[in-house]
Amino acid sequence: MAEQRTVEIQVLRYHPQHDEQPAWQSYKIPFSDDTSVLQGLLYIKDEIDGTLSFRWSCRMAICGSCGMMINGKPQLSCHTFLRDLLPGPVRIEALAHFPVERDLIVSAGGFVGKLESIKPYLLPREPRALAAGEYLQTPEELERYEQFSACINCMLCYAACPEFGLNADFVGPGVLALLHRYNADSRDGGRAERMPVLNAEEGVWTCMAVGYCSEVCPKRVDPAHAVNQNKATSAADYFLRFLGPKRGPL
Amino acid sequence: MDTFTVDIAIVGAGGAGLRAAIAVAESHPALTVALISKVYPMRSHTVAAEGGAAAVTLGQDTLEDHFHDTVAGGDWLCEQDVVEYFVGHAREELVQLEHWGCPWSRRPDGRANVRAFGGMKTERTWFAADRTGFHMLHTLFQTSIRYPSIRRFDEHFCVDLIVEGGRVQGVLVIEIASGDFRVIQAKAVIIATGGAGRVFRENTNGGIVTGDGMALAYRHGVPLRDMEFVQYHPTCMPGTGLLFTEACRGEGGFLLNRAGYRYLQDYGLGPAEPTPRNKAMELGPRDRLSQAYWHERQRGRTISAPHGEVVHLDLRHLGEARLRERLPQIYELALRYLGIDPSREPIPVLPAVHYTMGGIMADGTTASPLPGLYSAGECSSIGIHGANRLGSNSLTELLVFGKVAGLEAARYVNATSHGDAASVGALAEASAARALELLTRPRATERIATLRREMAKSMEDGCGIYRTAATLQSTCNRLAELKQRYQRVGLDDHSRPWNTEWLLAIELGYLLDVAQAMAHSALERRESRGCHQRLDGFEQRDDAGFLRHSLAFYRADDVPRIDYGPVKITRSQPGTRVYGAATEAARAHG
Amino acid sequence: MSVVANRPRPYVRSMRGWWRRDPFFMRYMLREATAVGVLIYAIVLTVGVVRLAQGEAAWNGWLAALRSPWSVLLHLALLLAMMFHALTWFEIMPKTLPALLIGGRRVAAATITRGGWTATLVASGALFALAWWWGS
Repeated sequence: MAEQRTVEIQVLRYHPQHDEQPAWQSYKIPFSDDTSVLQGLLYIKDEIDGTLSFRWSCRMAICGSCGMMINGKPQLSCHTFLRDLLPGPVRIEALAHFPVERDLIVSAGGFVGKLESIKPYLLPREPRALAAGEYLQTPEELERYEQFSACINCMLCYAACPEFGLNADFVGPGVLALLHRYNADSRDGGRAERMPVLNAEEGVWTCMAVGYCSEVCPKRVDPAHAVNQNKATSAADYFLRFLGPKRGPL
Repeated sequence: MDTFTVDIAIVGAGGAGLRAAIAVAESHPALTVALISKVYPMRSHTVAAEGGAAAVTLGQDTLEDHFHDTVAGGDWLCEQDVVEYFVGHAREELVQLEHWGCPWSRRPDGRANVRAFGGMKTERTWFAADRTGFHMLHTLFQTSIRYPSIRRFDEHFCVDLIVEGGRVQGVLVIEIASGDFRVIQAKAVIIATGGAGRVFRENTNGGIVTGDGMALAYRHGVPLRDMEFVQYHPTCMPGTGLLFTEACRGEGGFLLNRAGYRYLQDYGLGPAEPTPRNKAMELGPRDRLSQAYWHERQRGRTISAPHGEVVHLDLRHLGEARLRERLPQIYELALRYLGIDPSREPIPVLPAVHYTMGGIMADGTTASPLPGLYSAGECSSIGIHGANRLGSNSLTELLVFGKVAGLEAARYVNATSHGDAASVGALAEASAARALELLTRPRATERIATLRREMAKSMEDGCGIYRTAATLQSTCNRLAELKQRYQRVGLDDHSRPWNTEWLLAIELGYLLDVAQAMAHSALERRESRGCHQRLDGFEQRDDAGFLRHSLAFYRADDVPRIDYGPVKITRSQPGTRVYGAATEAARAHG
Repeated sequence: MSVVANRPRPYVRSMRGWWRRDPFFMRYMLREATAVGVLIYAIVLTVGVVRLAQGEAAWNGWLAALRSPWSVLLHLALLLAMMFHALTWFEIMPKTLPALLIGGRRVAAATITRGGWTATLVASGALFALAWWWGS
């Protein structure tokens, strides 16, 4: 019978009530070829140390709960596999650039607040009665924004973005990608209403085109593209505003 | 304890909860809504649904067909008047969601596209790539942001309903970040907490699908209806149970046994044709497909794999381009988790628990027998799925009945006033004390994970695809034992802020109660119907004896009492479920 | 709107040395640092223009300075920096453009990048050939 393989997992622990600062704790766990980091953490919580706290749910990289730093890189623990991190130790810490509430749990309220601030809903270009059926949208028109609509709000891009790390007011890659998703939707006419967010200092102009956000995105949303192509939009909006208020969307 | 007073409290912010909140906010903007969820709304398990949402769309499709497909799919255990309402309001809800921005996949002419799905006579399943639930949930969540009357309580865990004077008065929640209790006093409560698939070992569900709302309603005297009907999805990843959407089969995938043979033709679903045909072969209903797998396994015709016996889902003939376009998510899933390229190799799959047909008893207006309590979505049993749900009916259900729940709750509260705040507070304190006892229990001998594993294994063994009195009784006994041992479950974590272990312990309590309702309902139903199949002399459907709903009633310190309720039949008299070649014959005979 | 929670105090981690934590960030800082090279070269050229205005002796003095070993070393370093600058410039360029469609199909970012590098090589080659021919 093959001997059970084990690997060392190091987790940066922090408890708000009794820790002044975070500290590393080490565990040794069994694993097999298809064990994900999340399954490893669940093993620790179930069998070794129930005090380890982390977010998770779907296990299939669609709910966006389980983002964390694994060996220094922002990843989803549910689809990162221990087999690829051998021989270990595997170092796990809470998502970078966010305040840590406990163990691997970061404050997510700021991100959600920014998401709420960009009018992330369709502001129809033209009204349409329900009885008239769906708006027409060709596959080509859908393609123009579909990629940006695939964001699962996992915040890995924020952990990858040093500008966000240095300035927590930066609206950030994920939210700006969502903003672009609506602007690029052929049914939407709300671009003008979203410009103030884009144009603000904390909007596209904090972005320094590092590009790491798009590298780490598990859904290939390419937020760097969403943000940076809107720099031209924002600049044009700034310079062309003298042409008068009735100037339509670009 | 902080107290918040609102008109309507909604527990659960998935598809149904969000739709209900929006319905209230749109129709009655003066009413305040508390939208409570133990996770941020976009983490709700609606997000994982893949295949699509059904509604009559094409010219050749009719409401009558959708109605009949659904009722037959449910093996006639459906409330037919509710099904009629459902099919009649499906399309307008999908159009409404489109108006809110949902990126439905399109035909070249710009109209929403529809695809074939299991058990449906005509293509009527709207879809958004292969992540329909994701897009629906995000559209609903983002749309809900427009309404200031919706106050969200994100990451607040519901530990009890507050019931007084014979009606619901609000809920008690834990603010997870601090571990503090909060009371949300409300005139009406809508439960939209999802299913209970985590009761079983191998399931497609996320960690949060633990039957919370079902258990809470149940403990307060509301019957759980048809709990024995648990759906196995036939094509799931071995080991994790993760879902490979039915759309794989809608697009033309085959299911093969170890001989590379499309075995479904041996189970009344044939003949096998090279392209998908509605209601035949791989597009048969889920219960039949899961049962066919079970038989193949008994016959030794499945393939042995590290995580159990599997069959092959073959998508190779679809080609990489079509796979990447129509099924991008499952392509990634197979590649990343299994190292398998579906355009080159078949994917190993097996059935895993996916959906809970049963739930909180709800009438056609989503009202439960407890005044002020409503339910919508997977947590409720409103009567459209019967003994077996057709794929793509449940995403539509979230919208149709989420809206109904919101409107009905709004109507109710406009004619009601709040209960006495002091008695609400006292009841809340008592509930909080019970929840705290788990946390502060000094001597404990059981670990949460041990009990959870034993429960899940027992349910899979005794209450699985095929059941007998012996296996069911064994499971019932085991559950009773586990409930005893649960009294001695202990935690490692005794702190309050972000104590997720405490929440896991509370969830285990919910799971055990729901599991008991399932197992006992199954034991008492001495027939086979839909997803409830027996091998102990009750292999046939028994309309005379059991064309009725099971009702499980909670009894403290005892097993549930099982009673029965009538099934509403209107236009479709119980007949034979017709799939495969038989559908052609049936059509020919008109 | 989300009801603000009574959160316990969270821990904020320092950003000190952030760019040394990941090779990606180090590469980014190197990319940005090439701008300093651009500045240095601009100063060198500006000095050249000034020397030109000051007459033939000044001009020849500047040319002689350019041929000194330190200057050659500097210019080699600047050349490497410019090459890296051009390489990374075209890597990031597709992100700044809206999606390009040719014949209904999306032009991949990699195509735009390679196009840019090709154009750079061709233009550089042409300039070098011109300078060589001029000088001979």
